[in-house]
Amino acid sequence: MVAGDERMSRSWTEVQALATRAAAGAGVPSAQSLAFGAMLARHLADGGAEAPLQSALDAPERIVALAQRVEEVIEAASVSPRPIKTVEPDAAQRALLVSWLVGLPCRTAVDVSGETVLAALDLSAPSTRARTERLLVSADLDADLGALAARTYVADSEASRTMGAGANLMDTD
Amino acid sequence: MKDTTNPMPPLRPPHEVMRLARMGAMMPTRLSFLRVLTRRLCAERAVVRRTHWDMCADGFGTSVHRVVLGGRDYALISVSKPLDDASRSDRVIATAWDAAFVLFDGVPTDADIARVAAQAPRQEAGRFEPRDLVLSRANKSMRLWSEIVTALRAGGQPSASRIGEIGYVMRTTAVYGNGKFGIADRHLIEDRPELSGAFAAEMLAVYLIRQFSIDLVQHVGQGTLDRGLARHIGVGNATGLGMAPFLVTHPVLLNNWMVARETALARVLAVANIFPETRKRAARLGDRVAGHLSDWHVPSTPDEAALRALEAEWGGFRLHFADLSARDPYAEVWALAQAGSVALQELVLALLLELNGDIVDGLADCMIDPFGHPPRPFSGTEALRAAVIQDWAWALEIDFDDSEACRRFWYVSADKLEPRLGDRFAEEGAELETPLDIARRVKNLFGDLPKIDQPVSAFLREFPDHKHAVDRVAICAHHPYSEIRDNLIATTCRPIDMLRCKLSFFGATKFDPKSDLWTRITLAQGAPLGDELNEERDDWWLPVMSA
Repeated sequence: MVAGDERMSRSWTEVQALATRAAAGAGVPSAQSLAFGAMLARHLADGGAEAPLQSALDAPERIVALAQRVEEVIEAASVSPRPIKTVEPDAAQRALLVSWLVGLPCRTAVDVSGETVLAALDLSAPSTRARTERLLVSADLDADLGALAARTYVADSEASRTMGAGANLMDTD
Repeated sequence: MKDTTNPMPPLRPPHEVMRLARMGAMMPTRLSFLRVLTRRLCAERAVVRRTHWDMCADGFGTSVHRVVLGGRDYALISVSKPLDDASRSDRVIATAWDAAFVLFDGVPTDADIARVAAQAPRQEAGRFEPRDLVLSRANKSMRLWSEIVTALRAGGQPSASRIGEIGYVMRTTAVYGNGKFGIADRHLIEDRPELSGAFAAEMLAVYLIRQFSIDLVQHVGQGTLDRGLARHIGVGNATGLGMAPFLVTHPVLLNNWMVARETALARVLAVANIFPETRKRAARLGDRVAGHLSDWHVPSTPDEAALRALEAEWGGFRLHFADLSARDPYAEVWALAQAGSVALQELVLALLLELNGDIVDGLADCMIDPFGHPPRPFSGTEALRAAVIQDWAWALEIDFDDSEACRRFWYVSADKLEPRLGDRFAEEGAELETPLDIARRVKNLFGDLPKIDQPVSAFLREFPDHKHAVDRVAICAHHPYSEIRDNLIATTCRPIDMLRCKLSFFGATKFDPKSDLWTRITLAQGAPLGDELNEERDDWWLPVMSA
């Protein structure tokens, strides 16, 4: 917890992994969940607001739609070096679209003008965008992510505990 | 040393290399991560110093082992606590351990030590900071621990054969890196040359844990182990299903590990001739392999039988290393190995690499994935279809309507988030399956591809669930060693083969499978001790007590 507010200090990996699971728990397909996790970490690192993330997790079809939009941008970038213009009237979705694009593992430059997002992607060059030492997550978002992620875990059972995993329950050799 | 080189032969193809039966026979090599780390320690003539030791007579308390590497200080903070036998479990679901560790970035203050002493024993329930690089825990091997303590207290030395047989006094049950529970993300240290290699920070922690365990048993035994005996004490590890999914969820990294290994082999096979001293070394290593296999026994009957079969096979094959020919020596011996078992072939590969550090070692720098997989979309669904046909014929042949081809499902248990494997026809939870069913997903994708070419994005708009399979096909098209070419949800799938593959890349020896789901292994057995790190000591591949 960070003194003076309700935010938690988390590693990048922790946040990305939890967000990936949370998206899966919300019902998003696996690949899109993975990309959402990366986007969420980038969004927070760049100082993005949490409200759009909460909205997306509340309506997972918004995450799938964003992933689809990014897929189309990447496809366009693969056939032409020109920046790709896409219009997103929803401000929350637009904020996440920008974070999704700048978080891709390739060199990107993204400009926003009104409802228009202009993205230049160099698919042949790796991303040069630095990652931060820590991410700050509000207690509310942290709890929401945790609750959604928990939907992906299988409830414990005796059979599972004794037969489904590795070593013995007690190992003194 | 070589004086001529032939053109490099092609790498072994993925359909031969990326099979579980072969991956489950892999051996440690000089490209294994612990070996790479030790080589760097030796090259820098690093010295491990114990700078804090606050242990009671029974060996409970805290300690710090420091080492300077790459010009930076690193410290292992260790916390040793009493543990009832009834609480000693190698499983993730355990909540207490004999010892807990943090690899700390820098020189810890008393406050750092106190913080780690409070948090590290809690492991997954604790919270850690960016200067904490690795979190780990270990349990004692009570049989060897007691024998060594008893022998030292009596003024003697423990049995060399028992040390050779068991190989460690402490066994780690998890080694966490890369941001887990708040420790440092890998990206914070990956630009440091000394930690840039794959799992380098984790291997440094393991190496220092081994030193801690030797110091602790001597402290409790109130005596000093003979140096040869101490050197033969490694650090154990118990590994279960948690490690297996990593190979599937990091396809580019897996590709890079495999490509480095296969490139190393191809480079060695291109050597046209060798000098007499290399021939002599080959013969010596051949003898060492025989000794190592002779020392390596496991309780499991089928695994013990496999080891004895390999020992017998090696008994005949080693003669080729005793008298390498003058022309194309390695290519010749490799060709002869193709008539042998897969286990023999993988052993020969490791020996060939061991003999050729000068052309192999640099490949360790290629065993990372610093950039991730940049998006490389297909031009359309027909290009996607062609890629599936090219690389995934093995998956298309599987009949997933056969219940035995899809009986298993991988999942994460709510019980301390332990990875497990279930029977989808007999257990609850298959709808929460972890997506390791790559072959099935690609086959399903193939079945849904449209007859008329269209943009993949248009196809995914209709079938968003296929995005995962599309991504895997795209990665495999550019990274041909990225996929395990077996059905990971079949009844016949043996996760132990995935564990063996990954652990061999870590540098594990003395694999001791306890079932198809978990194994014990030994790391750093025979490695130089913390005060004898120099290049002359970097010769401990497949150690035997006398080597």
